[in-house]
Amino acid sequence: MTHLACELAAALYLAAWVVGALTGTEGRGARGVVWLLGVGALLHAVGFVDLHRQTPVVPLESFPAALSLIAWLTVVAYLFSLGIARIRAVGAWVGGVAGVITLLAELALRWVQPTVPGPQSGGAWSHAHVLLSTAGFSLLALASLAGLAYLTKERELKYKRRPRFVLPSLEGLDRFEHLSLSLGFPLLSLGVVTGFVWCADRGESPWTGHTLWLLGAWAVYLLPVGRRVVRQQRGRLPARGVVLGFVVLTFSYIGVRLLGTGA
Amino acid sequence: MNLLLVGLNHRTTPVAIRERYAVAPSEFGGLNEKLARSPDIDEVVLISTCNRTELLAVSRAQESALECLHAFLRHELGDGSAGPSHIYELRDADVVMHLFRVAASLDSMVLGEAQILGQIKAAYRAGVAGRSVGPILNRLLQTAFRAAKRVRSETGLGASSVSLARVGVQLARELFESLDGKTALLIGAGEMAESALRGLQDAGVESVVVLSRTLESATRLAKRLSGRPASLEALQTELGTASVAISSVQVDRPILGPADLEGAMQARRGRPLLLVDLGVPRNVDSAVNEIENVYLYDLDDLEEVAERGRAQRGAAVEPALAILSRERDRFEAWRAHLPLIPTIRELVNHANHLAKLEVRRVAPDLEDASPARQEVLERVAEGIVAKLLHRPLECLRAESEEGGGPYYAEALRRLFGLELEDDEE
Repeated sequence: MTHLACELAAALYLAAWVVGALTGTEGRGARGVVWLLGVGALLHAVGFVDLHRQTPVVPLESFPAALSLIAWLTVVAYLFSLGIARIRAVGAWVGGVAGVITLLAELALRWVQPTVPGPQSGGAWSHAHVLLSTAGFSLLALASLAGLAYLTKERELKYKRRPRFVLPSLEGLDRFEHLSLSLGFPLLSLGVVTGFVWCADRGESPWTGHTLWLLGAWAVYLLPVGRRVVRQQRGRLPARGVVLGFVVLTFSYIGVRLLGTGA
Repeated sequence: MNLLLVGLNHRTTPVAIRERYAVAPSEFGGLNEKLARSPDIDEVVLISTCNRTELLAVSRAQESALECLHAFLRHELGDGSAGPSHIYELRDADVVMHLFRVAASLDSMVLGEAQILGQIKAAYRAGVAGRSVGPILNRLLQTAFRAAKRVRSETGLGASSVSLARVGVQLARELFESLDGKTALLIGAGEMAESALRGLQDAGVESVVVLSRTLESATRLAKRLSGRPASLEALQTELGTASVAISSVQVDRPILGPADLEGAMQARRGRPLLLVDLGVPRNVDSAVNEIENVYLYDLDDLEEVAERGRAQRGAAVEPALAILSRERDRFEAWRAHLPLIPTIRELVNHANHLAKLEVRRVAPDLEDASPARQEVLERVAEGIVAKLLHRPLECLRAESEEGGGPYYAEALRRLFGLELEDDEE
């Protein structure tokens, strides 16, 4: 049941990506993308509930499950953000990324037993750390998608190139990036703090590869946050900072684990 | 007589070179007269718009006339910076179709726009005033105007055209989520700029600021556009708040450079600014586009944007081209008759003269030789001549359309002794 629901969700996310790529940002196609993502997120939630019913701590313990949680939160955050920023075009990109992540996570959960242990379950701090971090990661994923779309569109408009993708206006992308960053960065910061508290609670050293890279990502994010929030700047530089920050953040979650230097 | 055209346009020449060949309408008359004084040129009209500078001419000496037109275009109208790849030359039927396409705005940056027809009419009027337009160009241009009107009324190309206004709005929407509440600047005047600004107003732009060299002219235009007037000195300040600026000023050098925008961009805090430069020569230094969050579009860039949507209007273009082809055929048929006209006139005069002589010869033998009776007889004789000549002349016209006109004309002259008569005279 859990796997079926999550795999169906991945299929719907990927379908949203295909529909969005084929039909653009307006009309029935764009509405179809939102519906596909919505139904996918619902099925994904059903999968999580079922998983939680079987083993209450699993979603926060297993790395693939955490990835799947990130994908789900990304889609949910995007669907909620639609009420604030009218940028349906990003939906297709969100669907593509969430679909691939969910599918890979499901394959790992189904056939490959996790060899690298995730954060050990350990009460409220661990739950708070993983939940806040994944929520922050999801929102920052959205911000980086918007930033990437902004940089693509900005380049097309600046150098008068024929558009390769149907993208929302620069202003819309900028606002969406700003919104996701404004929510995602505090959540990530709280995730980092709770992570340290959790380590202190268990009497362990917090200075692992993962935490160092996570702090590095957090520091990189200070640049776009500072430019946007403090200096109220927009444009290319904050977008580049957001994309770069997400690359480092992703490495701190996935790359470090794959290289085996995480814990 | 050969029809010739030498010129450069937005498809062959970038605006950076095109602007050096732009001619103000006030100079058309003098330049037409100057060129018409050349012994190789029989008729000539200079056409210069923001997208093209062309010399349309009629000449008996084709090659030397083309040389003359090339030299005039390169060195009298421009600074010689245009190379062979920028300048095109057309002859005869190609000139006709090209002119018809231009007049019908099929060759325009914005397909279906109406302004080009007015610009060609102004060029024609300047040619007429300067007496450089003769019967052939007169007929050609009148046919071009008629063809353009037919295209507009019969194909709906004008009604469904991608106007400059629409291109401007499309660009603005690429930058801004919504145009509601935004401010637009209009720098200078001009039909295109006004049209683009009205498009932005229709799309939601709330306030308009009109800047001109004098506050009086800005006030006049601002009143028409329900905007606020300002003098050109306030440009930098106004750029600090506007989202879109459309510039169309007749100037020799750019009025806006990167240094002028530095202060404005600091005030904007990274908000994007769309600059649309409709001026030829250009009003805004192209280096401005390098500034972050500034998006500068000149006429060539707008052409590229308009081009993207052109395929969608292929349905309207095909019928328009069919109309233009028919009009071209009609004009070419008329032009093919031109060498025959003296022969036909001579033949008809010759036949009528003979008929009249014959009537006068037999008149004294008539019982009633009154002038009235003689007049009746002359009319009868002329009628017989007209009937007799009708079919051969029709045949001659038909053959001339096939290219055989000169041979038939020669045959007629020999058969009826027209040359002999000339010699005798």
